[in-house]
Amino acid sequence: MDSYINAGNFLKEVGEIARFTLKFLITWFKPRYEIKEFFKQCYVIGYKSLPLIGLTGFIMGLVLTMQLRPSMVDYGVESELPAIVGIAIIREIGPVITALIFAGKIGSSIGAELGSMKVTEQIDAMEVSGTNPFKYLVVSRVLATTLMLPILAILSDAISLYGAYLGVNIKGETSLQLFWIQVIDSLSFNDVIPAFIKTYFFGFAVGIIGCYKGYNSNKGTEGVGKSANAAVVVASVLIFIIDLLAVQITDLLGYN
Amino acid sequence: MKNNSTDNIKLGVFVLGALFFLILLLYMIGKNSNMFGDNYILKTRFENVQGLKAGNNIRYAGIDIGTVKSVYFINDTMMEVKMVIDKKAKNIIKKNALVYIGTDGLVGNKLVNILAVKADAPYAVENDILPSKKPVDTDEMMRTLSKTNNQVSKIAEDFSITINKLNNSKGLWQLLNDHTIADNISNASIQVNKSSYKINEIANKINDIADVLKNGNGTLPKLINDKNLADSLTAAINNFKTAAYEITEAGKEINHSVALISKEVNDGKGSIHAILKDTSVTILLEKSMENIETGSKGFSDNMDALKHSFLFRGYFRRLEKRNKQ
Amino acid sequence: MQTETTKEIVLQVSKLKKRFGNNIVLDDFSFELHRNENIVVLGKSGSGKSVLIKCIIGLMKPEDGSIIILGKEVNEMNAEELDKTRAKIGFLFQSNALYDSMTVRENLEFPLRRHWIKHKKEEINQIINQALSDVKLTHTIDMMPSELSGGMRKRIALARTLILKPEIILYDEPTTGLDPITAKEIIQLIIEIKNKYNTASLIISHDMNCVKLASDLVVMLIDGKCYANDTYSNLKNSQDKNIKQFFE
Repeated sequence: MDSYINAGNFLKEVGEIARFTLKFLITWFKPRYEIKEFFKQCYVIGYKSLPLIGLTGFIMGLVLTMQLRPSMVDYGVESELPAIVGIAIIREIGPVITALIFAGKIGSSIGAELGSMKVTEQIDAMEVSGTNPFKYLVVSRVLATTLMLPILAILSDAISLYGAYLGVNIKGETSLQLFWIQVIDSLSFNDVIPAFIKTYFFGFAVGIIGCYKGYNSNKGTEGVGKSANAAVVVASVLIFIIDLLAVQITDLLGYN
Repeated sequence: MKNNSTDNIKLGVFVLGALFFLILLLYMIGKNSNMFGDNYILKTRFENVQGLKAGNNIRYAGIDIGTVKSVYFINDTMMEVKMVIDKKAKNIIKKNALVYIGTDGLVGNKLVNILAVKADAPYAVENDILPSKKPVDTDEMMRTLSKTNNQVSKIAEDFSITINKLNNSKGLWQLLNDHTIADNISNASIQVNKSSYKINEIANKINDIADVLKNGNGTLPKLINDKNLADSLTAAINNFKTAAYEITEAGKEINHSVALISKEVNDGKGSIHAILKDTSVTILLEKSMENIETGSKGFSDNMDALKHSFLFRGYFRRLEKRNKQ
Repeated sequence: MQTETTKEIVLQVSKLKKRFGNNIVLDDFSFELHRNENIVVLGKSGSGKSVLIKCIIGLMKPEDGSIIILGKEVNEMNAEELDKTRAKIGFLFQSNALYDSMTVRENLEFPLRRHWIKHKKEEINQIINQALSDVKLTHTIDMMPSELSGGMRKRIALARTLILKPEIILYDEPTTGLDPITAKEIIQLIIEIKNKYNTASLIISHDMNCVKLASDLVVMLIDGKCYANDTYSNLKNSQDKNIKQFFE
């Protein structure tokens, strides 16, 4: 982490990430398309993350509800619990917690995988084998994270809401139908759509940072570990920055 | 390769599951704002829409039947509100239904209420303009409320000053706290009770004596002629009279004091505290009590003297004997 | 197969220059590789041998000089031409560079699918089986690289290198990290391959056993320059101090 304190290194890093991102943006839509690898990555990145994301989402929904209940009871608005939890989950908790867990799981695995491929010359081997490794490795993974995180976030929202429903029912009694209606009533498109859109950016950030860190890994096994670690740290910070930007932009556009 | 295709199936289920939930969520929200399904449009006009916005609910008899689609100017004094109404309400809302803007709860969102009118009319159809009722202007309401509020606060202020003064009034608290006065008053009434009982008793006894005298048997008629006895009896009766008079006077005084207080309270002269603060009244009351006390004391003294008079000694003894029997 | 066109030049490197910062790695380095010839580039660790072959295959760009492969200048090729040329070159990486996430079959399939997209499945399977039997590891076809020993991995990597039937093979320290017996087996394979497919090979090594057995010619890379270019036996008898230190 010491290197981050150095402003020069930091700026250099930002510049390189920007260049890397630009390269991705230029490369991704050009043939040839690594469809098979893309689907494989979608499976690994998306489907295989579901149990973890689901578990954390469920617990978040449950805990959030249980934590909010006492203050809601104090203000005498216990019946608004589903509405407030619904908004919290859909707007913020669902996307951000999912993205952070995703950064922890996928960011590190991409960083480590590409890092070790770099170190053991697998990336060179690909290039020699007539494959653009940037396309094969980076584009497929970044596209997969970009497209899979929103999917995971939606499922996490659903599971979180179910957790919240159980949380409401620990000390109260609400039918699933009433809970659902209360949640839906409290939501508008302005709650769902911006939250959904920002998850694409979260996914993109996790993918780009993981690939960048892995792709530019230093020689040696230590480099691989550092790449994996840095990928998670930078991606997590970036998620919060994007979240901040997202709320500013939606506010500016009047969709808040 | 087989492995790969099952992976892709799982991936497909995964993605479709999420998309299903997203679409369901969006559909439900959309349905809530009547974006899908069979609707028709009704319009109404207001001079002031009080912040009504697209998306606000429309209620008929307390049931959500639609949402506001848009609010726009027609001219400088008129706003038109376009309402998307569920088709189900087609055979319910009539052309003469009144539309007014309300609020969900006290501080909730604005909403449009459609109020059915008793009079008969055809059902409203697409793009009909329903008559509107000038909305209850909450600003106006707030202004009135604030005026009322001011007055209430002024009254409350006066009241609090009065209470404060009462709190600080020494006289009242002295009166309320002074146990001696209360004790005195209660003692006095006991005395008055006793005295009147005794007066009754004495009167009975005097009656008895008079009976004896009338009948004229025994030594008593002789005794009557005894000048000493006659003198002492006269003195006793005089004393008795004085005592009775004093008691009556004391009672009058109390009555007077009480009447004074209640009169002044009734007349509303000055504030309550002033009366109660007035120590002279307290003094007056205390004085009256004293008088009653002295009065009854004098009376009982006289009675004792009467008992001890040798003339009546025999009589009292007999009386005691009779009581014993 | 043994058509004796020995003097056909398949790879010509001339006046190659490469530096990293102030560290000059290659300086006016030149040599020629002919068909059906094994050249061993001999040099100390860090003397720029790996840089040399990475420049040849186009993974690194030299600052100056030319590399002509099969009559074409590498540095002037566009991406498509480079890919076509690369299909004719086999590269055996020092660390094998087997794809960890793929089975042996997929590892071998990978370059095939890349360069010969139009080929049929049966054809590809046949080529894979042939390549595996060449390195005597047919039974490992569905195993993951992590399940294999170092020597097996090296042989699988070799099979993958050979699968496109390259005209030039570049070996980056093929015997490093292997026990002497396995190393010898690999060297035998390298020689076999040359004779069987009539290939030209450039072997980078500091393993004298490998140099002795596999080389037709030895190029000595000292201080970024081609210090000597001769047969193994001639060099062994050389009195030059710098050459001698390799043979002690």
